[in-house]
Amino acid sequence: MTTDQKAEEEILARKLIEGDIEAFDRFVEIYQKKIYALAYNMTHNQMDAQDVTQEVFLTIFRKAHTFQGKSAFSSWVYRVALNAVYMKLRSRKKDQSISVEDAFPSFNGAGYHQEVIRDWSESAESLMFSNETKNVIQSAVDQLPEKEKIAFLLRDVEGLSTEEAAEALDLSVSAVKSRLHRARLILRKKLSGYFEEKQIPGVVK
Amino acid sequence: MICCKECLDLLHDYLDGTLSKEIEKSLEEHFEDCPPCISFLNTYKAASSACRQTLTQTEVPDEVAASLKSFIKKNIKNSP
Repeated sequence: MTTDQKAEEEILARKLIEGDIEAFDRFVEIYQKKIYALAYNMTHNQMDAQDVTQEVFLTIFRKAHTFQGKSAFSSWVYRVALNAVYMKLRSRKKDQSISVEDAFPSFNGAGYHQEVIRDWSESAESLMFSNETKNVIQSAVDQLPEKEKIAFLLRDVEGLSTEEAAEALDLSVSAVKSRLHRARLILRKKLSGYFEEKQIPGVVK
Repeated sequence: MICCKECLDLLHDYLDGTLSKEIEKSLEEHFEDCPPCISFLNTYKAASSACRQTLTQTEVPDEVAASLKSFIKKNIKNSP
């Protein structure tokens, strides 16, 4: 977040605390898409994402005065949003038993790569716009274990800094880093199967 | 010289640019001699970037935006 954005958020937070309804319009303008996208990417359900967004709007409006300024305003908003998402998800637990261990590459006794690592990064770029690719990616993210998924969505998709994500999740910076690293490893492993198979002949490395 | 396994543990901080100059240099020296680690680094970055590109396309559908607008009008703007 830039210094200008930070300054605007501080003013916005102060006005919301004072109950300024126009500030609330600005809040909606800035956060509606972010909150909806986070909720949708966690629940994959339009109605659930809408419910979560409404819940967050109400909570922010009613509880703005409880914001104490100890963390960044945006971290507080994300914390409120995540609580609403957790409430929604609690009712529909599903099996997310993906082994994190499987996502790590295998090393020999000396600590060097044991398997062949194919570089599909360039072919991935050219496949980004197909619906099949989008579905594969969405399903890969959807199958991440919940803790890793939230860290990944906040940090790599919503673009929060590691510190902001740590504040939103009430975790240490090192815990966020390790969850994010695990999420990226799992996604790399899951997407490798798809992109390797699709790799365009000629760019094989 | 550091091994591939140690490189893996440093990837996150390397991409964040938060490694010490000394460790960053040993990591890059390792990359120069290790094509598997370069492939791993490229695909580690590409996986995250592909997901970001796909998931940031999530838009608020028009009907949801309309519902949210009337929700705000009814529950927030008209609240005592």
